Amino acid sequence: MDDLTWHRMRTRNWIVLFLMACAGLALPAQEVSDGGTVAAIRALEQEWTVGQSHNDNRVLDLIFDNALIYVEYGKLVTKGEYLARVKTASPELNQVVMEPMTIRVFGRTAVVIGTYLEKQEQGGHRDMKRWRYVDTWVYKKNGWVLVAAGATRVSH
Amino acid sequence: MAKMVCILLMVLAGASVLGARQADEPDVKSKIIALERLSKMQAFAAKDVKTLDQLLDKNFVLVNPDGKVETKADLLLFVQSADSLQYTVGVMMVRVHGDTAVATGLYSLTGVQHGNRLSYRGRFVDTWLLKEGQWVAIASLTIADE
Repeated sequence: MDDLTWHRMRTRNWIVLFLMACAGLALPAQEVSDGGTVAAIRALEQEWTVGQSHNDNRVLDLIFDNALIYVEYGKLVTKGEYLARVKTASPELNQVVMEPMTIRVFGRTAVVIGTYLEKQEQGGHRDMKRWRYVDTWVYKKNGWVLVAAGATRVSH
Repeated sequence: MAKMVCILLMVLAGASVLGARQADEPDVKSKIIALERLSKMQAFAAKDVKTLDQLLDKNFVLVNPDGKVETKADLLLFVQSADSLQYTVGVMMVRVHGDTAVATGLYSLTGVQHGNRLSYRGRFVDTWLLKEGQWVAIASLTIADE
């Protein structure tokens, strides 16, 4: 069972009261091992990609913080705007191929840097762009949530 | 019963700490905005690598407007070796998540390096972390306008 699943199941448990009581207290960084954190973040990044490709914004709603800062094509968009776009996007016209990522853990904060290849098709014309992204995840009471994300185009 | 009272007290204790954190949020936002201005507008222009060294975590990572990954050392070298740099930032938005803060805003970077003119404008997204009582930048993304 991965960390995320465990945390979500945990919230349904009675023990949640005790955890809520401690929520305001600092969680020691050691409590979440780096190895476990890296695996959990990697799984969430994967969940995000799959959710987006299936227009499943319910999955994204769970892993995005409500105060998410998201920069898409240079424009700042809210979580609501992003989820609305995902729901109506045409995946067949816009394919994303994820490439390797690096995850840096700073206690309850994790920063992911990676690249992806975006294949677009418009009016019979195919275009490929590579983007480098930076995602910031924060560990909150129900698990890791995405608090910031953005990407810049990689120049050739 | 004693167990229930204990749990209730713990819930209230947690809520009061959360409340205190929320009350501090405007202060944190002001602090982060001040640090953004200090690190970018002042330290860049003055080539003040000492200040930048203090504000950037040793594991700081930057994705520059060309999409390249740079380390803290790369950024310090860039600032140090520039003939001139002017970094201006517009209105910023800061979101605080406990010991983590994210700042975003529009920027303009102009200058000269090795005789070449630099000119970028777009949006930045910076992540700050409260580490041993000091806010330090751990990641920065700079996006150039298309």
